[in-house]
Amino acid sequence: MFRAGGPRVAAAAVRAWAWARGRAGAVGVSSAPAGPPAAPEPRREKPLLPALPRSPILRACSVPVPPHRSPVQAWVESLQHHDDECRGLTDLHPDVFAVRPRLDILHMVAMWQKNFKRISYAKVKTRAEVRGGGRKPWRQKGSGRARHGSIRSPLWRGGGIAHGPRGPTSYYYMLPMKVRVLGLKVALTVKLMQDDLHIVDSLEIPTADPQYLLDLARYRRWGRSILIVDVNEVPENIGTAAAGLKTINLIPALGLNVHSMLKHETLVLTLDTVTFLEKKLLWHDTRYSALYPFSMPYSDFP
Amino acid sequence: MAALAMAAAGLGRRLRELGGAVGRRGVKDSDDDFALVQRLLPPTRVPLPPPHPTYPTPSGWSPPKGPPPHLPYFVARSRLHNLPVYPRLVKGNRRLTLLRHIWGNIWELERDLREDLGVTDVQVNEVTGCLRIRGGCERELRAWLLQKGF
Repeated sequence: MFRAGGPRVAAAAVRAWAWARGRAGAVGVSSAPAGPPAAPEPRREKPLLPALPRSPILRACSVPVPPHRSPVQAWVESLQHHDDECRGLTDLHPDVFAVRPRLDILHMVAMWQKNFKRISYAKVKTRAEVRGGGRKPWRQKGSGRARHGSIRSPLWRGGGIAHGPRGPTSYYYMLPMKVRVLGLKVALTVKLMQDDLHIVDSLEIPTADPQYLLDLARYRRWGRSILIVDVNEVPENIGTAAAGLKTINLIPALGLNVHSMLKHETLVLTLDTVTFLEKKLLWHDTRYSALYPFSMPYSDFP
Repeated sequence: MAALAMAAAGLGRRLRELGGAVGRRGVKDSDDDFALVQRLLPPTRVPLPPPHPTYPTPSGWSPPKGPPPHLPYFVARSRLHNLPVYPRLVKGNRRLTLLRHIWGNIWELERDLREDLGVTDVQVNEVTGCLRIRGGCERELRAWLLQKGF
């Protein structure tokens, strides 16, 4: 799950940091890109758009970046064509996509996700529940045998179990909300730094053929399993294409979680999803502790 | 019986014709006073500190001096805009001072602390960006951080 290094990691680091300094303007057009600025070569099936935006940054951070940090960047790709890998760049908020690599937090959240819904059904019978054993097997003295009061004592074969598991046990517990949020941030950071996070402008694909998605993932070396996240309504083509595939999964942005991110090799986010995640996750950095549950009304709940 | 049902249906229709504003029991729905309720709802976000005439404020709070200083490290404020310096007590009587939210080169900060404050035992946690200093030196550390511009 965590690779120590390699050319792809180096490529990710370059990709994330190289543009951070020499950026002029850094004004994003909008959350939706205006169009493909630099196609590698003109293709027959798509008309080349004439107007190129001045800045390659298609999207700026949705939340202001604190002055002591600078945004990280990633390429914006497109699923329309398998060569359409560099539509432009997007700024990513460093407090979401470049936090400290707290693998301990990642482990805590992953284990919490695994365990908090677990119910253990292990149960064994005590000496009281095993059938029989009410009569003293032989008298206390004079037989020459060890003294026993019941044939179902834990010492006996076929007797009850001492200190065994008792009944359905709940392993429910809750991690603090800030720890869960930090787990999401660390997972996103790790995915970006390992070059396993890909940003796409939209999930529109030309056909509903599952083989198209598989070929695209193979061509771009996205690995064996892909998690695609979208905050909006999923387009029909990709929904149909991914429905029968076990290794390419579509989830809404509200369902993004640490376990799924670690389980899949590649994470694909749309630009709107990045904006959504930044807004939702960074709210926790400036919020008060809850006066009462956040499900109740507040004046400025995001 | 049928006549009774017809009369009830007619009454319901007449009430419905009166309009949505008047309910079944003649109660009028009004959201005029809901602004008073909204006034009571607490905010979730910590606001930016308002400008004060003099610093430190009566509570002892001071903002950072200006833009981030040109140092290889940076100490960010906590979410309530305070300096992230916290006293810790171990086993009831051993005093520690915890400094959090350190960005950049934490080892340079440790060296400067040793030189300027004269502290000897400093524990550096690079992964979490925290420093633990032996002894209670919160006041000196806060003053030093403010003077450095954090």
